[in-house]
Amino acid sequence: MGLVQRVLEAQGIATVSLSMIPAFTRAAGVPRLGGIPYPMSRPMGQPGDAPGQRAVLRALLGVLDSARAPDTYVELPFVWPETPAQARKGAEVHPPITQLLARKPWLLARLYAGDIPDEV
Amino acid sequence: MPIDSYRHLDFATRQIIKAWVQREASSPRAIPWVPMAKPLAESTVALVSTAGVARLDDVAFDEEGERRNPWWGDPSYRLIPHDTTEHDVKLHHLHIDRRFGSADLDVVLPMRRLRELAIDGFIGRAAEIHYSLMGYQLRPQVLEQETAPAIAREMRARGVDAAALVPA
Repeated sequence: MGLVQRVLEAQGIATVSLSMIPAFTRAAGVPRLGGIPYPMSRPMGQPGDAPGQRAVLRALLGVLDSARAPDTYVELPFVWPETPAQARKGAEVHPPITQLLARKPWLLARLYAGDIPDEV
Repeated sequence: MPIDSYRHLDFATRQIIKAWVQREASSPRAIPWVPMAKPLAESTVALVSTAGVARLDDVAFDEEGERRNPWWGDPSYRLIPHDTTEHDVKLHHLHIDRRFGSADLDVVLPMRRLRELAIDGFIGRAAEIHYSLMGYQLRPQVLEQETAPAIAREMRARGVDAAALVPA
């Protein structure tokens, strides 16, 4: 996502990213970034929590007005009410790469190294 | 206390992302920057979601292609009109728990919340069209060289001043 942000900004659109893994997004080199300690899959908050989602979006967009230089990073003032174990409980996530690596665990080294094969 | 980027990640994902961050840090790049042309309260704002959101009446993201070759992710994008709801779409990102965004699209693509902020006067205008990608891109060449420039052209043609990107 950092890559897309960089291209949009370079093409003249002022951009800000939200990130649950701000160290990751920031490493890509982005102009404006709002970090949030929410779990994956729920960047704006819980389903049905319109006031909470609105507060996150408002804080994120506020970074557009307040940032004065590239690599602006703001930690947004929100707290997730669950532990990571609670947030992950019952998760339904089944990426094909996980199934492939379960069959061929030696390929994990390629993923660590960023040495991505053309095909299986 | 600063945000712990790795708190919600499982062990393997944490190690993979840490390795990636280290590689990026060893080759820093210039960061692009355009100042806001006008205050946020006068700006037109568009959203970009990486949750792989596609309307049911549009072409789906290619989940089967990723199942055939798990190293690959569909690098295309979809336009999402602002009045699209969770009833009109499917989320195609296979690396997220899609139940949340499927129950309430604003969890991943907060178009209703953006309109509310426009009504409040916090932003000038919510764009009529928003954008979605599928965020699993291990080799992001097509995303960087074709998809993202195409989205930028669409935004400029529609008078978008600023964009907020929401991961999933």
